[in-house]
Amino acid sequence: MNNDVTRAEQSEKIIELRLPSKLGYERVAMDAASTLANKMGFHRDRVDALKTAIAEAVTNAIEHGNQHNETMKVVVLLTVREGELIISVTDQSDQSIPPEVLARIPKIDEKFTEDDKGGWGIWLIRELMDEVEFKTAPTGGNQIRMVIHLEQ
Amino acid sequence: MLEDELNVSTRQRDGVAIIDLIGDVTTFAEEKINEAYRQVTSEGARHVLLNFRQNDYINSAGIAILIGIVTEVNRHNQKLAFSGLSQHFQKIFRMVGLAQYADIYQDEDEALQGLMPTAT
Repeated sequence: MNNDVTRAEQSEKIIELRLPSKLGYERVAMDAASTLANKMGFHRDRVDALKTAIAEAVTNAIEHGNQHNETMKVVVLLTVREGELIISVTDQSDQSIPPEVLARIPKIDEKFTEDDKGGWGIWLIRELMDEVEFKTAPTGGNQIRMVIHLEQ
Repeated sequence: MLEDELNVSTRQRDGVAIIDLIGDVTTFAEEKINEAYRQVTSEGARHVLLNFRQNDYINSAGIAILIGIVTEVNRHNQKLAFSGLSQHFQKIFRMVGLAQYADIYQDEDEALQGLMPTAT
């Protein structure tokens, strides 16, 4: 009995979303994350930071990871822990993200002369979240794991 | 289904071309924002204000569009300002460096005072 209760409580704290690889669906992840974060007591500015970070992570997974293939899924896991929220976003790509892309620090004055004025997503995620880690998921695919702490 | 529409409209006030942006500023916004900017520029705008309405979703693709506008504004020797951004996006715009190229005002009235195109 007790075990069942514990298991039920634990599973309640993990929310899984499986999103189609179509731009716009990152909104679903943003709204779910902000609902949870508000409930956990995060300040408004931290919730906004989280929404931006999760939007960028899911958008990257849709565009670059799954190449807009709508039959491929982006899996978002939201794990509520004491004092922190852990978010993982996984695509189904068999191509890993090049390390130089992960480490890139974009400069606006360079963007003025470049055709591609984007490339801010990963940098923004790193700036806004407390912990950020990129790896290959056990099931394959690129996985980004982000943590935001309640105290900050 | 979730390709949120952005409403873009233009108007003139006190010598400033105001581009109102209501909705999400993402990759879907590119044509509309660029078209509005081209329109006010072809009408001879010297001062351009991008007037947000506390929009709650501006992503990196949206930021890329705005960097494109700054590139054009510099080329045409216009002056650009932003107003109506939430605290969060004011911060993001400063982080990215957009604030170095366009002044950020709390609202439209403050922006018009700051731009002062009619002053001689």
